[in-house]
Amino acid sequence: MPRHLVSWLGLLAAALWCAGLVRAESPDTRPPVGDADPLDGTPRFELDVLPILTAAGCNAGACHGKARGQNGFALSLLGFDPDFDYAAIVKDARGRRLFPAAPDNSLLLRKAAARVPHGGGRRLPPDSPHYATLGAWIVAGMPRNRPDDPELVRIELSPSQRVMTQGDEEQLAVTACYSDGSTRDVTALADFQSSEAAIAAVGREGRVAAGELPGQATIMARYMGQIATWDTAIPLPHPVDRAVYDSLPRHNFIDELVWRKLAQMGVTPSEPAADSTFLRRVYLDAIGRLPTPGEVRAWLADADPQKRDRLVDALLERDEYADYWANKWADLLRPNPYRVGIKATFSLDEWLRDAFRRNLSYDQFVRRLVTARGSTWRNGAVTLFRDRRGPDEITTSVSQLFLGIRLECAKCHQHPFEVWGQKDFYSLAAYFAQIERKGTGLSPPISGGEEIVFHGGKGTVAHPLTGELLDPRPLFGEARPVEPGEDPREALADWMTSDDNPYFARAAVNRIWAELMGRGLVDPVDDLRATNPPSNPALLAALADEFRRLGYDQKALLRTMMTSYVYGLSSLANERNVADTRSYSRHYRQRLGAEVLLDAICDITQVPETFAAMPPESRAMEIWTHRVGSLFLDAFGRPDENQDPPCERTPDTTVVQTLHMMNAPSLHAKVISDAGRAAALAASDKTPAEIVEELYLLVYARYPAADEAQAAVSVFDERSRREAAEDLLWALLNTPEFIFKD
Amino acid sequence: MAVHRNCQGMTRRDSLQLGLAALGCGGLVDLLRLSGQAAQEAGEGTRKPVNCILIWMDGGPTHFETFDPKPEAPLEIRGEFEAIETRLPSVHFSEHMPRLAGIADKLAIVRSVCHNQGNHGAGNHYMMTGAPPRIPVGCGAFVSFHPSLGSVAAYERGAPRGLPGYFSMPSMSRSGGPNFLGAKYAPFVVSDDPNRDNFRVRDVALPEGLTDDRFIGRRDLRGMVDRLPRIDDRAAGDPVHALDEYYRQGYDLVTSVRAQKAFDIQSEPDSVREAYGRNPFGQRALLARRLVEAGVPFVTLYDGGWDHHSDIFGGLRKRLPRFESTIASLILDLDERGLLDTTLVVALGEFGRTPKISTLSGQSKPGRDHWANAMSILFAGGGTPGGQVVGATDRSGYAAVERMLSPENFVSTVYQKLGIDPGKIYHTPQGRPVHLVSDPTPIAELMG
Repeated sequence: MPRHLVSWLGLLAAALWCAGLVRAESPDTRPPVGDADPLDGTPRFELDVLPILTAAGCNAGACHGKARGQNGFALSLLGFDPDFDYAAIVKDARGRRLFPAAPDNSLLLRKAAARVPHGGGRRLPPDSPHYATLGAWIVAGMPRNRPDDPELVRIELSPSQRVMTQGDEEQLAVTACYSDGSTRDVTALADFQSSEAAIAAVGREGRVAAGELPGQATIMARYMGQIATWDTAIPLPHPVDRAVYDSLPRHNFIDELVWRKLAQMGVTPSEPAADSTFLRRVYLDAIGRLPTPGEVRAWLADADPQKRDRLVDALLERDEYADYWANKWADLLRPNPYRVGIKATFSLDEWLRDAFRRNLSYDQFVRRLVTARGSTWRNGAVTLFRDRRGPDEITTSVSQLFLGIRLECAKCHQHPFEVWGQKDFYSLAAYFAQIERKGTGLSPPISGGEEIVFHGGKGTVAHPLTGELLDPRPLFGEARPVEPGEDPREALADWMTSDDNPYFARAAVNRIWAELMGRGLVDPVDDLRATNPPSNPALLAALADEFRRLGYDQKALLRTMMTSYVYGLSSLANERNVADTRSYSRHYRQRLGAEVLLDAICDITQVPETFAAMPPESRAMEIWTHRVGSLFLDAFGRPDENQDPPCERTPDTTVVQTLHMMNAPSLHAKVISDAGRAAALAASDKTPAEIVEELYLLVYARYPAADEAQAAVSVFDERSRREAAEDLLWALLNTPEFIFKD
Repeated sequence: MAVHRNCQGMTRRDSLQLGLAALGCGGLVDLLRLSGQAAQEAGEGTRKPVNCILIWMDGGPTHFETFDPKPEAPLEIRGEFEAIETRLPSVHFSEHMPRLAGIADKLAIVRSVCHNQGNHGAGNHYMMTGAPPRIPVGCGAFVSFHPSLGSVAAYERGAPRGLPGYFSMPSMSRSGGPNFLGAKYAPFVVSDDPNRDNFRVRDVALPEGLTDDRFIGRRDLRGMVDRLPRIDDRAAGDPVHALDEYYRQGYDLVTSVRAQKAFDIQSEPDSVREAYGRNPFGQRALLARRLVEAGVPFVTLYDGGWDHHSDIFGGLRKRLPRFESTIASLILDLDERGLLDTTLVVALGEFGRTPKISTLSGQSKPGRDHWANAMSILFAGGGTPGGQVVGATDRSGYAAVERMLSPENFVSTVYQKLGIDPGKIYHTPQGRPVHLVSDPTPIAELMG
């Protein structure tokens, strides 16, 4: 730009700036806000400037948006705190960042255009419209929104959501809607992201391109704290005849909703699993153990067409059900005994097992945890509040576990993919503000004392930035007010477990569904948000409705799921569902969990494990703390109690696991034990064929096929009976048919 | 015929190596030797491949107290440590780096790598894979969107039979996984402490009392009874394939003479073990040398605890002397053995640390916080011209100002040295094309 032009612009800017000042002092003269454009032509800080800074990445978490800013210049993350940002830009550093007399010389613009060294490089080219807007705003005297200026209320994505075909493209438009009813196209300033870029990618400009793969994707657009999503599906080419789906069996509503989804995607389901596969699957899912050879024989011989349903009912009434399902919650809630003490850990473990033994309804289960009071030695639920002490610590875990809402982000700043901000977080935390404790607090590494948790009647939570004292307020919807003298947690529990709370039942059914089916409808299971939608929203909603209808009876819900036709499908793929990993057109294989696997090995070899801090003959499923040492359980993965919950187990396999299965001295000892299964079978008067059959029933829960039996029997020709039985047992235990739930 | 013993004192199981129990031992050893020679001959005429030992200083090591001291800066920036001279004129290291300063002629220090991912989860991912995380991730996150350096090395280069191509000790780094390359290229994690007298790599030796023959018999039997159908299409994501792969790797490890020998750290003379430092990190560095010597292309030495938000000076006074001494010994040992030319040693973390010293609330001792605008990386060997400093930060260490380099440049340099084209394009199991590195430009000064 020629020098004289710059100075001319400077003069003009100075004049306009003065005009702006005058105008700001006489608000009555402000021009009316038009219908079409919410602005009077003058750029405003909130409406115009912040969106540009956000789109340019200035206030991103890695730049000036991080907690203490960058090089002395701090902005709020993604522009969620306009007051702070306005002060930072206009007033801080003695106002040196802006130069209204010559806007181009403003540090803000010189840095943004990289005319002076800028760690972030060039974010706004001087010839760009956004640069011009910033300049005009400075010239106009840096106006902020006035109280009656329109406010952004939401954004909308258009055109409407649709099914795409391979290679298809679609240009999305983001429309900002303001409180006065006006709208603006903000596509150029919005951020886009695809949940499955391989299926449908989205460019910076909002252009969606469907890839070559069938599947579904959700495109998220974000503009100034508002989020909108756009779902699309790309079905397999060559549609399937409707009649195919119409003719599929429907045991209950689950099947209908899965078939609808498959029909939409052009995917066809696998065949039903073989009876023996189903038998093994349902034992593992209901009670976490394998059927005995006697149970396998009897059930396979049963000719009753209803035998699958009857099996489900019978298994859910078995004692092992409680240990197995209580363990899933123990994984999420179990504290480190070195932190909270052995007795408190133990009493929580007992509480959980007892809840599942009595089939405590899930709403009661959550209510009793969230409102727990009394002694950590007498009421295990109280241990939750011994482990998590501050309202903020409790809040993140309660919302993530029971509502599937991850709030950690909102503890320190606005959640970047969600509507939750700090005020939401600390208002929720205020429900826990009046918890008081007496007795012996934490004193790691022993922490042996008893602690009493009770409603103290006072205590507040303040917003960490504004210091404002916050009243208890739920994240969404309405909660009844806290009665005088009442523990606010009671009101919270009412709100959480209310039938009107859409998250409560959904988070629960999604977890249970994921346990059975290998993958949650929402994945990860505790991250329910618009930008991470369920693979089958109708099914998730229907399961949640059913759970409510069943009075939150977990056994009844499991029964519904396990007796669906879909649950009994084979894992083997057909041509049209081989790539399906989200629609449940086939069963997804899962590696057995550490405890299940170890207990199974002990049952099969008839050599129990010895655990520290447990009575003899205890099963791994009965262990009350992950601190009980076991190389086997460590190799196959168990939660780390030192990590902030919920810490998931990883389902992965590793070479450490295979080496352990092959060579671990303790497993070797079980296989060759004189008191073990192989020795007993070898010493019995069974024929080799009978021994082979017994081993197959024990390890695989099925009879060997004729050729399998023949090959296995020949092993007895080459080795002693004892060695043959041991080697065959070792071999069977080391195959995926044992290690996986098929 | 040399007889070597594995850590448990059992005789070698080279007969297992080829699964030919019936063959005589002498014949097998000769076979092995021949195949080794053949491999060497095939490589002659071309440059010998470079292997890499990556020392991962997890948490983000300070650049001020290591390779980029700022003695002229005000106290609140320069900190408590002095700068010391190195073998190179006008190049200074921080005072607790004396041994590395003494061999600065063998090192290349890059002072100007910077990026924009200021939390551990994201920084780990960016530096370990060369790709920024696709979506914002948190500090505590362990994320993987892209294959790590080590996994790519294992995928592209492989390793001599029986050895994994990628080791990580004593744990995997946060983003050190294979991502879409698949479980086969995950690191083999040696968590056991090689500084202990009874060190052995767990479960790699056969259980006591089990003969080699019987093990082979069992393995054959396993092949016979294993009938579960696999879903071959990779898009199905059948997890059984990973188990198969790990059984293959497991067999290879158990039966590999080379692996058992590489693990046998007890066979090192005491003087060597002392030189590396009789501590877990020191002995892992020695084990790393043995592994690259055996042909492993990539070894990560994970060293946690560099996140010095508080007590940075007290902490580093204790930590640095031992740490830098091990690295110096490793470089010198590689050099003496003629391995330095074919072994790249790099040491870095996910980012540098803040110039201004601060005391966080709740802490009594000062520290430095996360700082991705500048970091220092040590390179040695693998054909890297020594005795140079690449790039510079400003006089207060705030930002890389000369020769600004990116994580992409860093990983491209490592790939190029390993003989892997950083510009190549992979395809994920879903068929999506993915650039190995989006900007495949290596750091020219280091390429020699």
